[in-house]
Amino acid sequence: MHKRSPINCIVPPHVLRNIATHGTDAQKNLAIETIKGSAQMRGQRQALAEFSVAAFRVAVGGKERVIYDAKHGSSLPGTVVRKEGEAPTADVAVNEAYDGSGYTYDLYNDIYQRNSIDGNGMRLDSTVHYRVGYDNAFWDGEQMVYGDGDENLPESERLFNRFTIALDVIGHELTHGVTQYEAKLTYSQQPGALNESMSDVFGSLVKQHHLQQTAADADWLIGQGLLTQNVKGVALRSMKAPGTAYDDPVLGKDPQPAHMKDYVNTLNDNGGVHINSGIPNHAFYIIATELGGYAWEKAGQIWYVTLKDKLAANSKFQDCANLTYQTAADLFGVGSLEQQAVQKGWAEVGITVGGTTPPPDTGGGCLEALLRLVGAAPAKQ
Amino acid sequence: MQIERIKFERTGGFAGIRIATDLKLDDLPDEQAHTISELLDDLDFGELPEQMMNDANMPDQFTYTITVETKKWEHTVITGDVSAPEKMQELLQLLNRLARTQKKQ
Repeated sequence: MHKRSPINCIVPPHVLRNIATHGTDAQKNLAIETIKGSAQMRGQRQALAEFSVAAFRVAVGGKERVIYDAKHGSSLPGTVVRKEGEAPTADVAVNEAYDGSGYTYDLYNDIYQRNSIDGNGMRLDSTVHYRVGYDNAFWDGEQMVYGDGDENLPESERLFNRFTIALDVIGHELTHGVTQYEAKLTYSQQPGALNESMSDVFGSLVKQHHLQQTAADADWLIGQGLLTQNVKGVALRSMKAPGTAYDDPVLGKDPQPAHMKDYVNTLNDNGGVHINSGIPNHAFYIIATELGGYAWEKAGQIWYVTLKDKLAANSKFQDCANLTYQTAADLFGVGSLEQQAVQKGWAEVGITVGGTTPPPDTGGGCLEALLRLVGAAPAKQ
Repeated sequence: MQIERIKFERTGGFAGIRIATDLKLDDLPDEQAHTISELLDDLDFGELPEQMMNDANMPDQFTYTITVETKKWEHTVITGDVSAPEKMQELLQLLNRLARTQKKQ
């Protein structure tokens, strides 16, 4: 075969990234020169691939999961109940946490060439059966924590099932970890709502990727299966139609806006981080459905690169819109269908990007974007 | 210490659903009022620091705001899940349930 392969087919990006981030200066330069020098690339690729794969194995681990049981207490992490490679247990929450963190690892690793939460093989720890009657799941900065919902109440009063039941909830929590290592979005007001939205976006993508659903087939719900039959609702949030996930006498109505004109100013919930996330969530949904196919491929790639390389701790919605618009140009070209879709998605939630003139050509296109993706070139901004 | 009133609010969490209740202990069944008073005494509630949230970097945690009134003082404590002492778990659980029941009515 003499087909000219795109650069990322010759040396896997995770390998390049590994060299670029963990190699000596000489190795970094070699990695960068290898990518740059397309004429020399063919000759060097085998040697480069061999040394870098070896370095990769030594430097970092792969998928490593540990599940703990808090036994309804509040101390973390609890007792180890299942480790990587061990057979399923009789406890469904343990197995869901194990499988779900594995599917999340797979999306990041297989699609975005990211080795775990920190990009460096960090072990994925999860604790299940946290406290009694705990209607929640959270990321504590180091691990995931899941409650069992209303297991302590009579069945007729239960509103929530166990939080491991929804794969997107697991992907959501792990993505908080990714954000913590990358954009470090402050958990308050608009940066906090972006932090939440990133978790919903990649949580949903974990589920879509696992089920191999296209954007058109996906339900775009967050927490589907989490609410019991006592609740009038289908999930906790809807990216497709924010504000419609539930409307119930006890829980109230889903308060999420889908447009800037309905932005909720509140002191609660760190300034409404779980409420206003509906706006960027919906923008992502529109972009993904506009582009069609698997949402993790194009829309997801734009979002991932933006989260990894462009967003800052204090970024607001407008910044995120501008940066995803820029990333779309870097990855797919100025004025590409992808960039147009990004513009349209944000416009529909009330955020204008790009104006009427195309942004300046940043040059480099795919090659430069790949270099940035692997960390071998400075981030834009 | 004679507790007269307790206000409770839970915000945030994965679902972002706020629940709250405002209870006059005289209006509660004796046994429940007694339990709440005991749990608060046991915690030495009036002496707890006002701000117990020391874990800003824990997305999706609940935030609990509890205000207790006696004849002599009023005291508010704000805490998260991980920063709440083990001794407070039973109180939080009870108040959660009361807040939810009240919302239903």
